[in-house]
Amino acid sequence: MWQKIYLWLDERLGLKEMYTGILDRPEPKGNWWNTLGSASLFLFILQAVTGIFLTVYYTPSPDHAYDSIQYIMTGVAFGWLVRGVHHWGATLMVLVVFIHLLRVFVTASYKYPRELTWLVGVGLFLMTLGMGFTGYLLPWNQKAFWATTVATQIAGSVPYLGDFILKVLRGGSDLSALTLQRFFAAHIWILPAILTGLIFVHLFLIIKHGESHFPQKED
Amino acid sequence: MNDESKNKIKERYHQVIQRGERFWPDSIFKDAIMALAIFVILILLATFIGVASEPKADPSDMSYVPRPEWYFLFLFKFLAIYGQIPLLGKIEWIATVIVPSIAIILLVLMPFLDKSPNRYYSKRIMPLSIMGVLVTSMVSLTLMADVPTGTSLPGILQTIGGLVIPGLAYILILLLAFFFKKAPATCMAWTAVAAGVLMVGFTVAVLFLAPAPVTAETVVANTVIEKIQAGQDLYAVNCVECHGEDGKVTKIEGVKGLEGKEIPAINNNDVLYTLDDASIGEVIAYGRPIAGMNPFGKAFNPEGLSKSEIDYIVTFMRYMWDDRFEKPVLKPLYPPLAAGEVPSYDVHIAPIFNRYCVSCHRKGKDNNNFWVTSYDEILKTGDNAPNVIAGDANSPLLTLISGTPIMDPADPTKELAGKMPPNNNLKPDIVAVIKAWIMAGMPQTADDAAKLTPVPVPTATPKP
Repeated sequence: MWQKIYLWLDERLGLKEMYTGILDRPEPKGNWWNTLGSASLFLFILQAVTGIFLTVYYTPSPDHAYDSIQYIMTGVAFGWLVRGVHHWGATLMVLVVFIHLLRVFVTASYKYPRELTWLVGVGLFLMTLGMGFTGYLLPWNQKAFWATTVATQIAGSVPYLGDFILKVLRGGSDLSALTLQRFFAAHIWILPAILTGLIFVHLFLIIKHGESHFPQKED
Repeated sequence: MNDESKNKIKERYHQVIQRGERFWPDSIFKDAIMALAIFVILILLATFIGVASEPKADPSDMSYVPRPEWYFLFLFKFLAIYGQIPLLGKIEWIATVIVPSIAIILLVLMPFLDKSPNRYYSKRIMPLSIMGVLVTSMVSLTLMADVPTGTSLPGILQTIGGLVIPGLAYILILLLAFFFKKAPATCMAWTAVAAGVLMVGFTVAVLFLAPAPVTAETVVANTVIEKIQAGQDLYAVNCVECHGEDGKVTKIEGVKGLEGKEIPAINNNDVLYTLDDASIGEVIAYGRPIAGMNPFGKAFNPEGLSKSEIDYIVTFMRYMWDDRFEKPVLKPLYPPLAAGEVPSYDVHIAPIFNRYCVSCHRKGKDNNNFWVTSYDEILKTGDNAPNVIAGDANSPLLTLISGTPIMDPADPTKELAGKMPPNNNLKPDIVAVIKAWIMAGMPQTADDAAKLTPVPVPTATPKP
């Protein structure tokens, strides 16, 4: 019976090719430094899952954002755990992605034929920082509000374009409901969409070129 | 890169994977363990450290010192140190735009700048040295982020450690790489190592010399009960004077400037059904000048109530007076005393004074300069100090709160001080607690009080 289902699926999906193409690939001997990329991916998925749970209760408006998070923390069963994991996951993700970037730099894995993988990776790193930056405002507490005020001010110090950038980020001259709505949209739609797309390109390139090996004297 | 070296790289990779492993199951196994470790760490962090509570955003609170998320702290510190450079430091966008842009552009262009096919560490000393210095300086700036910049010794040391040393190291490494090509490549590595050691040294010195950071503990109420209780305490200090303990005062008495003013009661459905939480909050924050209500928000007074505090007061009003809400069970003002137990200032007396007295007896009010916001104030302030005398049942304070005014001995018809509180009486059990406290010698902490409490003689237990 299972055999039949497997054969039916295999005929249509090509499970065998998938296995040889994605899973049964030869790789250079690796060590724990090679797990940082997959760790980043794991953290991204964890952030996505916990983030989706949080949006069930979170309200992106200045009147309710703070209270809705307080409700998640005190009223929702295991809400504190989901929020705690999302909060610390963000910290850990920035750290892990950054160390992953350093590892690739130190072993010069960005060289031929993996230049594009590096470029996409830099994009992923910047998007991760963007996620951290936009997510920081969402709790709408004192720390979030004033840190974002200062950070957008800094973005506004660009010569000529500063005022425009500031208004785009804040949705006006001051931090307001519009800013929160904007950061929320960026945090749950725009940046994750870009991240997901880039992650697939990144993974495709890794499978295409194989993982790089640790350089030896002859490299 | 020419085809020859491309082929060489491909061939070399082909050799390496011959001696390698399989993605499934070898690499996946390690990845899975790593993912599991991360998951466990996150659960532990979320459970045992959690997320710190912060008060609600308050756009009118200009005094708040902003602080970014920790992974942007190094940029924050870099900006602060950069701003001290004479002349150049005034051009803010060099540090906010140019420097980060250069970093990102370098990162993006890395594969195109570094086109040599060499991958082994000893053949890439320059990029590795620069990155080493950069990362060390980022870590050191992050660690020093909370130490104030300035002309104090830690301020100067962190400028040297965070900006001057890495700056010089980059210049030296670039000079060695492009102008003094004859110098052995290890010179660059040693420059980086020396700069790293110096940076670590300066960071340790700065952290050692830095004054201990002052962390202002803000209490954040998270549950409804906590909010109501916080609101009750704030109401007792800020609102009771005019609105009375239960909000039903319609004519203000005994408040300078508002004497005899007629006001609507605030504990009835007229107010609570027609105004939602946000509106009541706005009334408290911005006042109602025509009705005589002063503004209490931070927009008018930096010492005023924060957004969170106003929220607590509104929650308190809602749950106590709005008949659509179920009255919550609140914990008693002070923990009940066992027979013979001596009350302490910290545990019993402070909550009582805050609830019933501080509203008028604090700085800036008409109160014969008797303030009761702290232990020392109760003992020492007042035009007729001391108002409390340890062990004296005739302490002026005890006389007044028992409902007896103190008369001028020269003119027995003239009140020197009226009974306290002026408009109603304290409950007898509260007066009893204050009396017990004064008679026992006014201990400040719970430990002091425990020492004064007579210990019942323990019945001797036979030793085994």
